[in-house]
Amino acid sequence: MDTGLLLYFVSLVAYAGIFSVLALGLNVQWGFTGLFNAGIAGFFAVGAYTSAILTTDPTPARVGGFGLPVPLGWLAAMVTAGLIAWAIGRICLKLRSDYLAIGTIGIAEIIRLVLKNEGWLTNGTRGINGLPRPFDSFSPEVSQIAFMLLVIGVVAVIYIALELQINAPWGRMMRAIREREVAAAAMGKDVAKRRLEAFILGAVIMGLGGAMQAHYTKFIGPESSDPMIATFLVWVMLILGGSGNNRGAILGAVVVWTIWSTTEIFTQRLPTELAVKAAYIRVFLIGLLLQFVLILRPEGILPEPDRKTGKSVLAAGAAPPGDPGKP
Amino acid sequence: MALKTVTTSAFVAATSLCAASAAADDIKIGFLGGLTGPIAGLAPPILAAAQLALDEVNAAGGVLDGMKLVSVTGDSQCNAQAAVDAATKLVNVEQVAAVFGPMCSGATIAAANSVMVPSGVMTISASATSPELTGLDDNNLVFRTVPSDAYQGVAAANYTFNTMGVKKVAVTYINNDYGVGLAETFKKTFEALGGEVAGYQAHEPKKASYRSEIASLASGGADTLMLFAYENDSGLTIIRESLENGLFEKFIGGDGMKGDVIIKELGAENLGNFTVTAPTSDHDAAAWKTFVAAFEKAGGSADGVFVGQGYDAAMLIALAIEKAGSADRAAVAKAIAEVAGAPGEAVGPGEFAKAKGLIAEGKDIDYTGATGSHDFDEAGDVGGLYAVHTVKDGAFAQVAVID
Repeated sequence: MDTGLLLYFVSLVAYAGIFSVLALGLNVQWGFTGLFNAGIAGFFAVGAYTSAILTTDPTPARVGGFGLPVPLGWLAAMVTAGLIAWAIGRICLKLRSDYLAIGTIGIAEIIRLVLKNEGWLTNGTRGINGLPRPFDSFSPEVSQIAFMLLVIGVVAVIYIALELQINAPWGRMMRAIREREVAAAAMGKDVAKRRLEAFILGAVIMGLGGAMQAHYTKFIGPESSDPMIATFLVWVMLILGGSGNNRGAILGAVVVWTIWSTTEIFTQRLPTELAVKAAYIRVFLIGLLLQFVLILRPEGILPEPDRKTGKSVLAAGAAPPGDPGKP
Repeated sequence: MALKTVTTSAFVAATSLCAASAAADDIKIGFLGGLTGPIAGLAPPILAAAQLALDEVNAAGGVLDGMKLVSVTGDSQCNAQAAVDAATKLVNVEQVAAVFGPMCSGATIAAANSVMVPSGVMTISASATSPELTGLDDNNLVFRTVPSDAYQGVAAANYTFNTMGVKKVAVTYINNDYGVGLAETFKKTFEALGGEVAGYQAHEPKKASYRSEIASLASGGADTLMLFAYENDSGLTIIRESLENGLFEKFIGGDGMKGDVIIKELGAENLGNFTVTAPTSDHDAAAWKTFVAAFEKAGGSADGVFVGQGYDAAMLIALAIEKAGSADRAAVAKAIAEVAGAPGEAVGPGEFAKAKGLIAEGKDIDYTGATGSHDFDEAGDVGGLYAVHTVKDGAFAQVAVID
């Protein structure tokens, strides 16, 4: 394979990996706990900006930068996203599913507007430039490949940690809450506390995803946390891959991002006038794909397995995952 | 077995078809535009103007030994992730010689930082106006044919204070990198000249009403409103509501305000005191007229913003390839400043054949484009000319050119 194609493949995998992180975070909230978070972009942005402020070089335009090492930035991104999720969760998690969705959309918008307007903190609309990318001191090719391996490593660690957590008693408790909240409460489970835990855990992972993304593009601005990319696309990935299944979340991210990105290789060779029109067809295609999946395979490509038998929950005749309302 | 043969031959046919569409002696130029997203309306004419430049070059026999320039168009969506992804494809999969775009400033910074600069590919934007681009650590690979907002704010302040004689203004701006950049430099220059900014407020786009913002801006006592916004968005609403309530008499807008929607919606008779500054070339200059004639013949309209800059950017890429003598990325990047600036014999829009001849003779050329001289400074920026327009007979008419 020639170097150009290899580098594109590397970039494709890195992006798919970063979106896998976001989808895994959403899976903790929606897939396992049934929390409808429509504000992924908010946690994404908090993580991205936290790490950006901490790791960039000092500038008079805004707070910092503090020139700290990247791993510290990523850690701080997780902590900040978690703290904000805690504050939001304390208020919003009392809301039932659809109201929680409205609440989280609103909060994501508030976060976006604060980051956009508080110029002393974030350099406002101009965004933060010059984020260090790990392994940047190597040649561009080596640095790209090393970053991709790092992303794969992070996805693997999160995947393993989540699988352990989900198969532990904590995971069973979460599923019990998701399926029958009243029954779980009657069993003596502290429903509010557990939901808050899941919300924070998901947000921490999303914050990390945001930081990874910002360091990959070496830039973060208000447009980068556009809900179209940072919220909607992640939902498509999780629903398509199979909510309630971590492997499904990763598969969904890989499939959707690959379709999203590679389709352009065909459209970009068209004459300019047609290429402009074809750009909309790509967006349309993703929407259409979601419609097909929702109608023909609502459980996603990889449905949630029944933890006892290892079979799909659907095969066992139970309610589809993440649909607590239906009998 | 038969099936396998059929599939294989179909595959071979398909790949050869792909290969045929971009022959081996073509040179690919990457076009990155915000095809979808917030500037989806502005992008197509800019790309069409850039394509016009390539078409002219090809019609004049192509570059070097008759090689054709082919555009490959990616969607940067005005957003960092999409711009980096699209740029990666252009640079690595398509192996373009140079990139035209991206269009939005944030997308340009992100794509340059993580794709173009590490790969050593030159990029030239026709519309990224953020002052942040000036200080980019870019190994002399990032250029733009549009002046930084920092210049337009200065020019607008000078014109308002010195020529129009307005000493007291209220300023409102759309809250994005475009609006903030313009408003900040305008305020700084206007105050340094001795003027008073009696009201300074950002506003969010797409609101149904701006009455509270206008009222608070008017409370400072200024009768002139400086408006850095977009015509089909907050700009129209703010002027309408100000007129309805009689809060401001004069309006001065930035380039985003120069749109026919304003005249159509508000009526020319109400816009006697409406002035707009916009980056331009001298509309009396021959270079601009040549471009407009060619663009209109090709079905475009030169009223769009940044179309002239788009044409010039693409033409500069073509000239740089000719000057470099190959499509080698490093050589092209090095050549662009040579063909854009002095010394050299002047060539303008539509004169690729002449430029090619001069280069073949070993002479230096200096491209003076539809939108100015494009003498890049060390940061890859250009200074700019700004046109001042007022509304006359139901259309914008140019009244002055300032720099």
